[in-house]
Parts: sequence; structure tokens; C-alpha cells
Amino acid sequence: MIEDDLRAAFVRHEPMTPSTGPLRAAIDRLAATRRRRRQRFQAAGVTLALLAALGVGVPQLRPERPAEDSLPSVQPADSQSGALNVLLVGVDGFGAKPPYRLADSILLVHIPADRSRPYLISLPRDLEVSVPGRGTDKLSSAFFTGATEPQPDLDPGYDLTRRVVADLTGVRVDAGAVLTFTGLRRITEAVDGVEVCLPNEVRSSHSRRVFPAGCQRLDGAASVDLLRQRRYLPDGAFDRDRNAQRYVAGLIRRAVAQDVLSNPVRLTALLSAAGEGLTVDDDGLPLTKLLRVLPELKSVDPVGLSLPVGPLTDNVQRVRLDPKQGPAFFAALGEDRLAQWVAQHPEQVNAVR
Amino acid sequence: MTYEEFADTRLAPLLRYAVMLTGDPHQAQDLVQETMVRVQLNWRRVARADAPERYVRRMLTNQYVDWRRGSWVRRVLLRAEPDPTLPVPTDHAQSAVDRDQIWSWLSRLPRRQRAALVLRYYEDLPDVEIADILGCAVGTVRSSISRALATLRAEYVEA
Repeated sequence: MIEDDLRAAFVRHEPMTPSTGPLRAAIDRLAATRRRRRQRFQAAGVTLALLAALGVGVPQLRPERPAEDSLPSVQPADSQSGALNVLLVGVDGFGAKPPYRLADSILLVHIPADRSRPYLISLPRDLEVSVPGRGTDKLSSAFFTGATEPQPDLDPGYDLTRRVVADLTGVRVDAGAVLTFTGLRRITEAVDGVEVCLPNEVRSSHSRRVFPAGCQRLDGAASVDLLRQRRYLPDGAFDRDRNAQRYVAGLIRRAVAQDVLSNPVRLTALLSAAGEGLTVDDDGLPLTKLLRVLPELKSVDPVGLSLPVGPLTDNVQRVRLDPKQGPAFFAALGEDRLAQWVAQHPEQVNAVR
Repeated sequence: MTYEEFADTRLAPLLRYAVMLTGDPHQAQDLVQETMVRVQLNWRRVARADAPERYVRRMLTNQYVDWRRGSWVRRVLLRAEPDPTLPVPTDHAQSAVDRDQIWSWLSRLPRRQRAALVLRYYEDLPDVEIADILGCAVGTVRSSISRALATLRAEYVEA
């Protein structure tokens, strides 16, 4: 009997139920807000690509640090003559609490001494390397180790990564930059969108975006979204690295079309657009010297390269350098004969356009 | 099934369920809103569940049971805009509520007990399904329902 009263009481109060229309609209609004916020914070790592574009020269333009040799005529003999290697690191976790940093995209931009064209070399984040103070670990952990202790800071993360990359490749890193997700978005917007050419369709697992196969112009948010995608790509992080190269190639094309690279004023404007999302390393090679390299480039169409890695080992979470091809590749890089190496190993070249 | 299709058919029943849980249309809206935002953001996972509706009902029930006292205030402030179309209880309905003692007694029950009552006597679900939604054993469902009924009977005697 009390059960019957209960049933009756419930049914009697059904009319209290509000209408669903406004509620549904409120749900959609709030979900959209949270989705945006989530994208902003979960930074997807691969921001790094950006840098590559920068790799062609940008990283050195930090406005608040005027270059000492601002009188170019003073040291004309000092112009950079050898090959250049620029390290671009894309990190995620920007703005997250507690802060964490993983370098998800690590790109080495190699500019040969003959200035024929830039090479984009993706170093897999899961590559097994020796990290000082941490033993054998993934390459991505170097940034994390450097950037989180004793306090969160991008600069020590970059420094440790640079050391690990220099040890790994045997080449000197002349300049470099760290890019967060925010920096990536701002730079993309500063050049008014970047055209990316994909061989296959990519569906975002973070948003509802679908990136069709073929060329498309991406705005800042879409670029970040694309470069975050890894999980559902057939080749996982490797495909993501390739997409990062495609993005960088598009960014370079865009920067060239807008005459950014050869125009220091525009370049500075582009770099300051990235704001705090971009940290640059100007200890190695001063900006002005790097800038002098730009007009020397015969082609700004980059060659995207994959590091030769071995088959997955017992530990599937990590990849190892191919025991034969890997050292041969680094030797070619160190001796500045990548063009020859590429001719012999066309399978390691990624179509970036 | 897409999120849109799910919301088309299931939003209204969920809202009614939330009204029975909370006894208050505003709180019910907040509860459903919070749950459905998470449903929308994680739709892939929800859609993969064997029974998406039961999965969502479990999310909503957990949210209700865990909702801390006082946090209602924050939730209400979070609501995007005041909602002018919300039906205001008429005088008639209001007085019906006042007369409805069993309804007010319900609000004094622990939330898990109230949820069990709603699931059995409003949603007419079998105990096995109630146990699944509440995340407990079937025996626990039965004992909390009988404890809740005993409390209500005691109120009857006093009244």
C-alpha cells in the first residue's frame, strides 16, 4: 500500500518536469565551451611542426633580445658557411595543471652547406635514447625531465632535449625553438592559414573535424587539431610526424608567398605572434646570422625524411634506430651529404605536398 | 546511434527521472545538464556501451548520489542563462505539493535509497538492473529499498 502511494506520488509529480528544448540548447552550449577549453589545455603535442617553418630561419628573432652584431657590415667574413641544424620541439600540456610537458614532435631542420633546400628530419618521440640523469628512455622524456624539475620551465626542457639529440645524431645543433600548442595556433593565424596536403583522410578523435585527403587550408585551431591526431592513424606517431612535416612544408610555402622569410620586419611580426608559445634558443647561432642564410636558399621546398628505425622490439612502446641504416643516415647528416643519401633511400622520403 | 538521436528520444525520460530523484525541476535540469554535457563530450565511449541508455542513467545516478551538499549552488550559477520558459509551478500544483506528504518525506531519505525507490516504483526496473545502475549487489538494492520503505511507514504512523 505504501508502494502504491509511492507510485502515485511519482506519477503525480511528472508534470513538474520542465521542457527539454532550452535544456538541450544549454547542454550544447556548455559542451561546446568545454570542448574548446579542453582543446586549449590538452595541448596536443605536435606542435612542433611549426617550428620547422621557422626552421628555415625564424627561431632567432626574439625581439626583446637585440642581437649584438646588429651592424651586419662589421663582420662580413663571419657569415655562416657550413651546414646548419635547427631543432624544433613541439610540446603538449600547455596550460595543464599540474603542468606536464612531453615533447611529442621533435624535428631537426637541416640546411646543407650548398643551401640547396631544407631537410625536415622527424625524430620519433618513442625512440630509445640515453637521457642524462634518466638512463635509457624515450626521446620525449628528455623534455619532460628537463622541464619539470625543479620547476616547470620550457628552457631547461629544450636544453636537455638538445643535448640528447646532439648525442644521438652526432651533429651540432645551431639553433632551435620550442613551440606550444598556443604558439602553433597563433603562428598559423598570423600567416592567415596554412595549406596542408594529406594523402589520406584524417578523422579527429578530439573534435568532429574530418580532414579530407588532398590539399586544404587550415586555420589555427584546425592545424592544432590535425597535428594532435595520432591514435587512429594507421601508422600512429609516425603518421603524425609526417603530418607535422606536411604542415611545416605548407607553412613555409605560405611564409614565402607572403614574403615573410626575406623580410625581417614581417618575420619579427610573425614570431611575436607566437608570443609565449614560442621559446627560442639563440645561444648557438645569433639571429642575424641565421637570417643571412635565408636568401641563400635555392629552394624552400623541404624534403621530409623519416629516421630509419628498426622493427618494434620486445618493448612495443619504444622504437630503436635501425642498426645499419641509422648510423649510415647520421653519418650522411654529419658529413652533409643528405642529397646523396636521399637518392639511395627514396623510401625514407615523405611526400609533403 | 548519434548523440543527436540519443538526445531526441532519451532526454525527456532522463529529465523526468531526474525530477523524481531530486524532487525539484531546477536541480533536475542541472543534474541532466551536467550529465549530458559529459555524455556529449564522451559520446564515442557512451555509444560503445552495450546499453547506452542504462550507461547514461548510471552516470546521472552517480552524479546525483555523489553530488555534495552545497555544490548545487555552484551548479546553478554555472547555468548559462536564466531560463524564462521554465514552467513555474502553478498555485494548484504548489498546493498539491504541500499536501503531498509522502513526496516531502522522500526528500529526507538518503540519496541512494531514494534512487532505489525511484528506479523500482517509477521506472519499474527489475532489481538486477537497479543493482547495475547503482553499482551494488542485488541484495543491497533490496535491503536499501526495504529500509527506505520502513522509514516511510514510520512517518505514516507518526503523521
